[in-house]
Amino acid sequence: MPITRINVGPVHPSTHGVIRLVVDLDGDTIENVEPHVGFLHRGVEKLVETRMYMQSTPYMEKLDYVAPMSYNDAYVAAVEAAMGIPVKERAQYIRVILLELQRIASHLLSIGTLCNDIGQMFTAFMWSFKDRDIVLDLLQEATGSRMFYVNMRLGGLHSDLPPDFEEHALNTLDYLEKRVPQYEHYIERNPIFTERMKGIGVVSKELAKNIGITGPALRASGVNYDVRKNSPYYVYDKFHFNPQVLYDGDNFSRYKVKILEIKESIRIARAALKSLPEGDALGMPVKLRSPNPKNRISIVSRELPRGECLMYLVADPQRPYRLSIRSPCFINLAAISHIAKGERFADLFGILGSLDIIMGCIDR
Amino acid sequence: MKVDRDALVATVSRMKSEGFDYLVKVTAVDYADHIDVLYILRNTDTSKDEILEVMLDPEDLRIHTIINIHKSADWYEREMSEMFGIGILGRNAPRLLLEKWDGVDPPLRKVFAWNAAYKTKEDK
Amino acid sequence: MNNIPLDNIAVNLEKNMINIPFWLHSASLLYNIIGIIIYVVIVSIIFSVFGYVVGWLERKLIARAQYRHGPTYVGMWGILQNMADLIKLLAKSDVVLDNADRFIFIISIPLILALSVFLVLLLPYSPVLQSTNLGFGLLMVFTVIAFFPILLFNAGFSSANKFANISAQRSVLILLGYEIPVLLVVASVALLANGYNLQNIIAMQSNSYFALLMPIGLFVFFVAMLAEFERPPFDLREADSELIAGWLTDISAPYYALALFIDYARMFLGSVLIAILFFGGWLGPPFLPPLAWLIAKAFIISIFVIMVRATTFRMRIDRVLRFGWWWLVPLSLINLIITYIIFVR
Repeated sequence: MPITRINVGPVHPSTHGVIRLVVDLDGDTIENVEPHVGFLHRGVEKLVETRMYMQSTPYMEKLDYVAPMSYNDAYVAAVEAAMGIPVKERAQYIRVILLELQRIASHLLSIGTLCNDIGQMFTAFMWSFKDRDIVLDLLQEATGSRMFYVNMRLGGLHSDLPPDFEEHALNTLDYLEKRVPQYEHYIERNPIFTERMKGIGVVSKELAKNIGITGPALRASGVNYDVRKNSPYYVYDKFHFNPQVLYDGDNFSRYKVKILEIKESIRIARAALKSLPEGDALGMPVKLRSPNPKNRISIVSRELPRGECLMYLVADPQRPYRLSIRSPCFINLAAISHIAKGERFADLFGILGSLDIIMGCIDR
Repeated sequence: MKVDRDALVATVSRMKSEGFDYLVKVTAVDYADHIDVLYILRNTDTSKDEILEVMLDPEDLRIHTIINIHKSADWYEREMSEMFGIGILGRNAPRLLLEKWDGVDPPLRKVFAWNAAYKTKEDK
Repeated sequence: MNNIPLDNIAVNLEKNMINIPFWLHSASLLYNIIGIIIYVVIVSIIFSVFGYVVGWLERKLIARAQYRHGPTYVGMWGILQNMADLIKLLAKSDVVLDNADRFIFIISIPLILALSVFLVLLLPYSPVLQSTNLGFGLLMVFTVIAFFPILLFNAGFSSANKFANISAQRSVLILLGYEIPVLLVVASVALLANGYNLQNIIAMQSNSYFALLMPIGLFVFFVAMLAEFERPPFDLREADSELIAGWLTDISAPYYALALFIDYARMFLGSVLIAILFFGGWLGPPFLPPLAWLIAKAFIISIFVIMVRATTFRMRIDRVLRFGWWWLVPLSLINLIITYIIFVR
C-alpha cells in the first residue's frame, strides 16, 4: 500500500499543547512518527544564566504548568546543594506534603486527559478536574496562589502552613481515597477502555531502559526505579511506601501506575501530616546576601509526577554558570517513534496520552 | 570519570555490559577554554550513577554518537548539537530539534551575546 | 389486506396506497398540494422543536453527568443557547478551500440534510398525521438511509483533507458492517407484522410491543442505529481526538450549523424508528393523543442515546467492524430464527 503522510498538529485537539507529529501511515498502521518540537522554546537554560539564583524560580515553575511546585523544588534543591544550605526539618515535612499533593493533582489531570484522548466525551476529564480543583484549593491555602506557587525558599519555605491546614488536608485526603476507587470503577470496567488500552504501545523492560523513558512509564514496564525510594531525599525514607511497578508495559499499565501512585501519595501525605514536627519552616529571603557556593557542581535528582528530573547546576557567585535540566517529558516524547511503530493510527493518541507529556517541559 | 574522546563509545559500551544500562542525560557545559560533554549513566538495579566527562577543544567540536548503544541519546545529542554547535559523528545529519537556530553562535555557548541584535549566518 | 408477498410489491403498488388521510387523498390537485404543504409544515415544526429540545437536553444532561451546569445564561435554563450558537454559526463567512472539489463540497451537506428531512416526512406520526401508507414503507426508509454513507463519503472525500478522507473511508466501512444486522432485524419485524407496512407494524403491537417479543432484536437495532447515525461509541467519522472533526474538518461555519442539525435530525429519525418498530409507535392509553405518545417514546429513547454518549469511550475502527460481524450479525440471525420458530411457524 502507498504510504500516506499525515500532519498532526501543531493545532490539534489532542496534542496537549503545540507539538507537530508527522505520521507515515501504511493503511491504518503507523510506519513512522516524527515529532517536531520547539514551538514553546523559551531558552530557560540560558535565561537562568542571566538571573540571580532566586530570580529563576518562576521560570522553573512555568516549565511544567501542571506540576509547577515539583520543578520549583528541584531547582531550589539544586541551589541548596550548591550553597550547602540544610533544609529545616519541618520544612522538609511540609515540602513532602505539598509535593505529594502536587503529584496527586498532576496524575488526576493526566488520567482525565488520557480518557479524553481515547474518545471519552469529557466526563472522566471533568470528574478528575473537579477533584484536582479540590487539591489545588488545598495548595492555595498553603501557598497563597493557585497555579504558580513560587513557595520554595533556600533552606525552607516562603510561608509556614496555616493553622487549620492539617485538618483540611486530612479531610481532602479521605475524600480522595474514596474517589479513586470510583475512577477505577468508572474507567476500568468499561470494556471499550480496556480494549483500547491493553496490549497497545507495549514497551518491554529492555526497550524501556534503552529508549530511556522515565517515571510512571518506566515503572509500568517493570523497571523498579523511583528516585524517592532508590535515592531518598527529604524525609521520604521515614515513610513506608512502595514504588508502584507493573510489568505489562502497555498503555493500561501506564494508566494504572498513575492510579496506584495516587493511592501511595495519599498514604505518604497522610503519614507526613500526622508526624509533622513543630518548629520553624521559613527559608532564607529571596535576596541572598553575597551567595557563595560551596560546591562548584551540584547534581540533584527529583521524582516529578512525570518522571525523573535531574538538575545539573554549575554554580558561580551571584548567578548560575550553567543549569542543565533533564526534563522527563522530553525523553518520553523522544520515545514515541519507537513505541508507536506498528500500532494503529487511532492508538497514537492513546499512547501520547499515556506518556503524559507537557510541552512546556519538553521545549524548555 | 574523565574519558578520552576516542574512547567514549567503547567506554559507554563497556559500562552498559557492566550494568549501567540507563542513560539519564547527555549535556554539555561551556567552560570558555574547553567544553565538557557529560554522559550521566545509571545502573537501575543498584541505583548508582556514573558521570563520564569528555573534554573537547572549542576549535574541534566533534564527538562520536552513542545512539547505537543507547537509543535515548538521540534527542539529547540533537539538542546538544544545536545548542553548543557540537558536531555529532557517526549518524546522519540530524534535523535541528528545538530552536531551528540559524544564528551565528550556538545559544548556550558563553560567546553567545544574549542581549545583542539577532543576526543570521547570511548577515555575517 | 396487509399480508403482502414481497414479489408482488411492485404490482400491488396502486392497490396498497390505502388509508392515506383524506386531506392528502382529495380528488382535487389543489387541495392535494395544500394538504402536502400543511403536512410538511406541521411535521417540520415537530421535528425542529424535538431536535432543538434534544440538543439542549443533551448539553444539560451531559453537563450534569460531568458536575457542570451546562448553558445557563441565554433564556430560561439556557434553553436559547443553541439558538444563539446557531445564529452565530450562520452569520460567519463561508469559505471553500481551493483544493476542494467545489461543487460536491458545497452540495453534499445540504443534500444530507434534505435526505434526512425526506426520511422524516416519510414516517407516520399518528393515525391522522401521515403522508404515505405503502406496503413497503419500512423497506423504503432503509433504502433511503443507505444513501447516507455515500453522501458522507462524498462530503469527506471532496474536501481534499486527509482527515476528512480517512473519515469518509471509515463511514463506508461502518456501512459494510452494520447495514446487514439492521436489515436482518427489520426482516424479523416484518415477519412478526406480516409485511413492511409501517402502520400495520404499529397496529400489530396493540397486544404486546415487539420489544417484549424480541429483546435481542431491540438490542441489535439500538446498537446498529448508534453506529449508522454516528453516535458514540461509534462516532468514528468525526472522532475529535484523532481526526479533528472528520468529514467536517474543512467545513466553514454555516455548513457546520447544518451538520449539527443533521446530527439531531438523524437522532430524531433513529429514535422514532425504534419507537415505531419496537414500542408500538403512537399506541398508548388514551389520556394522551397518539402523536404525544410517539414523541414521548422517541424522547425517552433519545435520552438513552445521550446517556450512552456521556459514559462510553470511542471504539477503534477495526474493533467496530469485528463487533459488527462477530456479535451483531450472528445475534440478528439468531433473533430472526427465534422469531420465525416461536411466533410465525
